[in-house]
Amino acid sequence: MYRTSAIVSLLALVLLVPGAALAVNTGSADFTNYVSAGDSLTAGFVSGSLIDTSQQHDYPSIIASQAGVADFEQPLVSPPGIPNVLHLVGLFPAVIVPEPGPQGHPENLNLPRLYNNLAVPGETAGTMITVKSDVPSTGHPGLHDLILRGFGTQLQEVIGAKPTFVTLWIGNNDALGAATTGDVTKLTPLPVFTQEYQTIVGAIASMTHAKMAIANIPDVTSIPFVTTIPTILVDPTTNQPVIFNGHPVPLIGPKGLLGPSDHVLLSAGPDLAKGLGIPRPIGTGLPLPASDVLLAADAATIDNQIAGYNAVIQATAQQVGAAFVDANALLKQLATTGIEVGGIPFSAAFLTGGVFAYDGVHPTHFGYAFVANAFIAAINEKFGADIPPADLSAAMFDESIGNPMAAAAAASRESSAASSSSAASPMVWTQYLFTAEAMRNLESVLVTPGGTGSGGHHHRHH
Amino acid sequence: MRRRGALSWKAWGVMALGAMVIAPGTPVFAAGFSIFEQSAKATGMAGAVTAQSDDPATIFYNVGGMAFFDKAGGSAGFTYITETRAHFTGANPFPGEGVTASEKKLQVFPPHLYWVQPITPQFQIGLGIETPFGLQTQWNNPDTFAGRYLSTLAAIKDFDINPSLSWRVTPELGIGAGFIIRKSEVILERDVPQVDPFTFHVVNVAKVKLKSNYDTGYGFDLGIMHKPTPWLSWGASYRSQINVNYSGEAVLFPRSSGDPVFDAILPHLVPYNTSIGAKTEIKFPAQASLGFAFKATPDLTFEVDGNWWGWKHFDTVPLTFPSGQLPSSVIIERWKNSYAVRGGINWASSPAWQWRLGYVFDESPQPEQTVNPLLPDANRNGITAGIGFRGHPIDLDLGVLYLFFSDRTRAKTFAGDQLGDFFGTYNTRALLVSLTVGFHQ
Repeated sequence: MYRTSAIVSLLALVLLVPGAALAVNTGSADFTNYVSAGDSLTAGFVSGSLIDTSQQHDYPSIIASQAGVADFEQPLVSPPGIPNVLHLVGLFPAVIVPEPGPQGHPENLNLPRLYNNLAVPGETAGTMITVKSDVPSTGHPGLHDLILRGFGTQLQEVIGAKPTFVTLWIGNNDALGAATTGDVTKLTPLPVFTQEYQTIVGAIASMTHAKMAIANIPDVTSIPFVTTIPTILVDPTTNQPVIFNGHPVPLIGPKGLLGPSDHVLLSAGPDLAKGLGIPRPIGTGLPLPASDVLLAADAATIDNQIAGYNAVIQATAQQVGAAFVDANALLKQLATTGIEVGGIPFSAAFLTGGVFAYDGVHPTHFGYAFVANAFIAAINEKFGADIPPADLSAAMFDESIGNPMAAAAAASRESSAASSSSAASPMVWTQYLFTAEAMRNLESVLVTPGGTGSGGHHHRHH
Repeated sequence: MRRRGALSWKAWGVMALGAMVIAPGTPVFAAGFSIFEQSAKATGMAGAVTAQSDDPATIFYNVGGMAFFDKAGGSAGFTYITETRAHFTGANPFPGEGVTASEKKLQVFPPHLYWVQPITPQFQIGLGIETPFGLQTQWNNPDTFAGRYLSTLAAIKDFDINPSLSWRVTPELGIGAGFIIRKSEVILERDVPQVDPFTFHVVNVAKVKLKSNYDTGYGFDLGIMHKPTPWLSWGASYRSQINVNYSGEAVLFPRSSGDPVFDAILPHLVPYNTSIGAKTEIKFPAQASLGFAFKATPDLTFEVDGNWWGWKHFDTVPLTFPSGQLPSSVIIERWKNSYAVRGGINWASSPAWQWRLGYVFDESPQPEQTVNPLLPDANRNGITAGIGFRGHPIDLDLGVLYLFFSDRTRAKTFAGDQLGDFFGTYNTRALLVSLTVGFHQ
């Protein structure tokens, strides 16, 4: 009788307590209060924008969902996002524009506690420690203000949230700004990065009891922003290199003709369209500006610096017993062999690869789901957990969560269908054109880390 | 020395042609994609017949047994193969929990045909036509099947023409050898995915159908059978690896992506409705058997056999398009050698009637890494029963095999996985019924 009663009680408990029947084995990791920290990659930035339709599918919210976290709160921004999200209109050429109209607004500003996802787009290791508002540097509020709400720096809020588990992916912007502007002086010096990174992880480890999962930094030569546009002249009617005297015709960079290992950045599209960087008589014969080009030597410098950052990240993760996610290897695989899921190939190719969205830097929803599963695999391995991986098929097929502005994109492509189909040619795959508005949005989030979409610039703090 | 009952060359030709015409696509019913059910008597004893010589199917199971034929004999029949269950249940991360699928129910009848003709008291010749391999994995609802980008239909059809010669070295010892001409065809169908740059969704842009010619490979078989006492015999046999190089064509048929702009672009990128030359190769494994048969009484025979398959050479399947219109690729298989154990009983309740039972465990050669909708294989246990009628000059045999496949689950991610993640569990049951009509002098 006692036994029967106990079973009945247990059944009742299972039936009455929400989520009790769906308990996830998180091993020695405790997801009671999960907090995610980092930059735009952790904030769920997609196509140059912080927008709720993407934030709801960012990798921290996927991890939270898979780990059974019920109330994972984020600083959601209504469509069309901040800055206005980019989308593609037509393919001949591939024109990328921001959504028109006023930018989105915060939807969760009055949450009476700290957010679970505290990542701030544009954040570096240094600004994570020092910046709690964009007002001192730009004169007006920005994403720091929207996300941190004046309660502290990102690091202070991570600690203040009293997390039981923290995911940390920071350091991307310590290298990215150098890559997206072709200016290696923007790299955070390694000793500075080392000190900042150890401060962040050390503070979280010593001032909370949270277990951690930490990701390292991808090489800049893995992202389509850097790898998409060829350094030689391509005949748009054949999509084949223009051959002159038996050789392809290199584009003109700021220091002369570009070599095969140099990179023309995705942001060079408008300048190429004006004939810059293209020899006479086809083009102007004038060089591309330095900000459009990442020279091979500079790319190597940046990737070497990233290797240095990553050594620090991995060693620090090991010191605090964190799960380690090798995002560098993951992105390298995407950029070289690609991956296949259920016979479907994905790669780092711009527009067609399925992993990177319209800004050429930030992942698509599929890309974020893939990152989430890499975190989950590392957490399961390190902490003896059995958190189920996320279902990728929704991000691959579900019309409601692919492109953050799928409806707008559908309307745009319908309106451009007639002209595009009549002009169909393979040139699309090498001709990318960001409109001036799109470039402004891109610059605000790529060229100057910490930008807010309202034109403000944030200065680095080291 | 023409014997009563011997067939003319014309009759041989007609029979061979008939076997070619009816050789169907056949599914995987011994592990891998071999088919060990090549006679109703053998099916009734779970294939444990390597040490027995009273069935013309010894040409297939152990050509050394042919040496003990002192009169002409032949048989012809088929095995009806059907799946009673062939389900797939998906798991995360892809295709996701809650996804289910089923294979199209198979109804196939791979044939077998044998003739043994003594030419002297010591030497015999024979001919077998067998279907020792075959595969057909065809998924229901191919337009929506979650694995449609891996495979919607995979078929390997083949039959062997197996002329053989044997020598009765001593009254107790026979050896034999045969030449194998393998005719085979491959069919592969799947959908072609592409990321739509407007939505970042995966859309279906083509269905590709690859069909080879009936191409030919060559090999051999060897066998030995020894009957040292009236109550004990043993036998061993070997059938060589056979490589078949196929040529054929692939055609991509257009599918609407659901996006008119993208559909307008695709014909510029995809060579639709064009016959594209294709080449591939399949390495059919070598197979060896060792069996021991015991007669507990003159009417009651037990046999225990072990089989080995050299599947490790089924490592990759290249798909080459010499024109460059499609990218060449390689299907990774990474199979390993495998084995089977078999046991069978044959009880003659009277000179006319025989009753049979058997059991087989057949190990899958397929590693978890390559379990996917193209060819999902699994370990299997089978129970068999059979009945035989011995008349003059006609024999009749019926054998039934029910196969319980172990659930086969793909749950892990593997480094360097070229087929990509397709997680879930395959659950299969199968029924095989063999019917053979024999003739003996």
